[in-house]
Amino acid sequence: MPEKALLNIKNIYKSFGMNAVLKGISLDLNEGEVLALIGGNGAGKSTLMKIIMGIYQHDSGEIYVKGEKVTSNKTSAALASGIYMVPQEPLLFPNMSVEENIEIGFNQKKSELHKELLELMRDVGWNLDLNRKASSLSIAEQQMVEILRGLLRRAQILILDEPTSALAFDEVESLFACVEDLKSKGIGIIYITHRLAEVFQIATDVAIMRDGRVPVRGKVSEFTREMLVKGLLPPDAQEKENSLKARMKGVDYEHLKPVFEIQNLSGYGFSDISLKVYPGEILGMAGVVGAGRTELATTVFGKDKVLSGRVLLDGKDITGLSTRQVIEAGLNYVPEDRHLHGLFKISDIAANTSSAMLEKKEMGRFFLNKKAECEMTQKYVDDFRIKVTGQDQLAGSLSGGNQQKVVIGRSLSTSPKLVILDEPTRGIDAAARGDVYSIIHELREQGVAVLLISSDMEEIIELSDRVMTVCQGRINGEFAGTDINQDTLMSASFGITKHSEVGA
Amino acid sequence: MKKILKARELSSFLFLVVLFLIVGILNPSFLTAGNIIACFNDSVVYIIVSVGMAFAIFIGEIDVSVGANLGFTATVVGCMLRDGQNWAVAFLTGILIGAAIGLFNGWGVAVMNVPSLIFTLGTNGVMRGMMYVYTGGAWVENLPAEFKQLYTMPLAGSITVSFTVTAVIVVVVHLLLKHTKRGRYFIAVGDNPAGATLVGIPAVRTKVVAYVVCGIFAAVSGIVFSSRVGFVTATSGNGYEMKAVAACVLGGISLSGGVGSVIGASIGAVIMASISRLLVFMELGSTYDNTITGVMLLAIVVVDALMQRRTAEMNRRQRLAARTGSADFGKGGNA
Repeated sequence: MPEKALLNIKNIYKSFGMNAVLKGISLDLNEGEVLALIGGNGAGKSTLMKIIMGIYQHDSGEIYVKGEKVTSNKTSAALASGIYMVPQEPLLFPNMSVEENIEIGFNQKKSELHKELLELMRDVGWNLDLNRKASSLSIAEQQMVEILRGLLRRAQILILDEPTSALAFDEVESLFACVEDLKSKGIGIIYITHRLAEVFQIATDVAIMRDGRVPVRGKVSEFTREMLVKGLLPPDAQEKENSLKARMKGVDYEHLKPVFEIQNLSGYGFSDISLKVYPGEILGMAGVVGAGRTELATTVFGKDKVLSGRVLLDGKDITGLSTRQVIEAGLNYVPEDRHLHGLFKISDIAANTSSAMLEKKEMGRFFLNKKAECEMTQKYVDDFRIKVTGQDQLAGSLSGGNQQKVVIGRSLSTSPKLVILDEPTRGIDAAARGDVYSIIHELREQGVAVLLISSDMEEIIELSDRVMTVCQGRINGEFAGTDINQDTLMSASFGITKHSEVGA
Repeated sequence: MKKILKARELSSFLFLVVLFLIVGILNPSFLTAGNIIACFNDSVVYIIVSVGMAFAIFIGEIDVSVGANLGFTATVVGCMLRDGQNWAVAFLTGILIGAAIGLFNGWGVAVMNVPSLIFTLGTNGVMRGMMYVYTGGAWVENLPAEFKQLYTMPLAGSITVSFTVTAVIVVVVHLLLKHTKRGRYFIAVGDNPAGATLVGIPAVRTKVVAYVVCGIFAAVSGIVFSSRVGFVTATSGNGYEMKAVAACVLGGISLSGGVGSVIGASIGAVIMASISRLLVFMELGSTYDNTITGVMLLAIVVVDALMQRRTAEMNRRQRLAARTGSADFGKGGNA
């Protein structure tokens, strides 16, 4: 490889106990390269990045930065050698101002830093009030602060871990512009993503990680989308996704009464929402991140105040009920951020699965019926193909896809009439995604109504019988049948089309 | 940010003023210059121990062994002075003891990851026991007269040297914390430990240092304590941990870490130190001292929790409103 490789990783191995996570990784990054690193959850991407950042130490193998072998395994050393990682979930100091957040850890004078920061922000074209407290920033804004932090450090190797997963459309644009700019300045970027489209948009090189190895690596121009997808899937993956669509049958709307109905509901983050979901139907809710869909779902689920309007489940008014009452009425919600809201990480899988139905009689009146818990958990573990070492494995130690399956499994344990799934496959690898899709289809066949919130248009198209688009807190479009396609949904999500009502 | 911090300290100060005024209204004989200065002079031990505690709370932890640390140091230093040992040697020994206790706590909390309340509670028990072992339960008395006068030595009028020196130390520590790179680390680690690591702040080391600082301050307060009281018993320093925590919280330091200043902690300490005097003037007797401290601590912590929840909720709603209203938040003018 060329002499001026910024980063050269040779044959890295890393195990956690018995679990081998990295099995001989070799990668290199040159000046001005954007290396897209794609791969499923549990492929070892984050572990590798943490090793590069000096947060973990590798078992064997060598890392060279600008030709020099890395000997220290300290984060400060990695930072000093010009590596900066923008984590997927920004780690700011909530009680500090934006400026303090960016400038912390520098030796320079404050006034100089301030000037440099202002220049930098003008260069990048981002406007942020430097005096705002970090706790008041949106995720996208927090991400910008993180990137500014890295840039101000004149990092030559920038690691971006799924930077667009929380950004709105125009913010993605400005991030890409920024990446292009950095590229031309000779900065090497490792760009971790789950969105294949982005690979072709900004990356120069691509590497696929699977099961602790890098089986595929090369210039982006040598690849097609199909090749990447194939590279991501384990060699023995079956083509089950194609069969899914075939299994779908139309919903007979004429003879059905909606099982779930929202009438002119307004709350924090959304207003005047009306919709109906029929039994055995998957209603997709498309939109960009931050359109107000999650707020709608959590409000219906009794987590926030309803400002006006009504929510009906099976004809029963459940407006403003507590979460427990809503679950009892037959509605369940699988949250977007399973770490924050969904999972009891330090409990075992059985406890996680049964936690939503502890009130039910079959689980025992006072003492927990361990046998019933065990049987039910085993059913979901088998049904969903959750990869576990045993029911007593702690949920926090599962991979992202399997965690999500546990959370969905739990919501089904209450036998709900309606399930709201919020970004069910965000950050999940392709194989687990297929499993989650099968689960959703099975639900539908059992006559459960599904409200699917997703920012992944392909997912919406693949799964939904009907689609509503939400833009800035309001429903601005409804689509069915052949009208459901990337084009219509995208434009509606970004507020381009107004009210293209389609008779269902 | 600085404005908010100032406001936090200012409200603690206003609370102190209001407290004095209320007692003054109930009993006008309280409001004399002598009494008020005495309140400040009496607060030196509390200020020192609270400033140390502030370090532990800044990093998002707690140290409930400061009372035992104070007592043990006072015992050892007291014995050395009583036996005619050189003052400098005695003081240095005391400070080393405090630093060692702090190092031990820091190791347990930062390196071994034991919850700080539990670990320092254990240390507290060990040091309390050591006090008995060291003295056999006997009082340490007959300290040199010059040493006992040290605490009350006047500087100007009735203002003592000890208070003035303490005040200067507090201001210096405050400036170091606010304006040096390493000083900022303490707050940063408490605010977001994982984030601190990512920008290259040595989180573990910072925590250990915070505990060592806390231990040293507790030891110094032990030395000052023995000078002030003139003797040390087996229960000396009991309850100072609660007073110190209460002082910090009263002074606007958030128990979740990352917010506050040592100036605030000192103002809180003055309030804590004044309570028993205020009670006397309110003819309640100092038997209520601990109860009132506890009630104040709980009241503030609950109010703080409620306020934090409200701010978080308001921030969230503001963010949501920004979304539904107009989507052009935060993005650049590069269009």
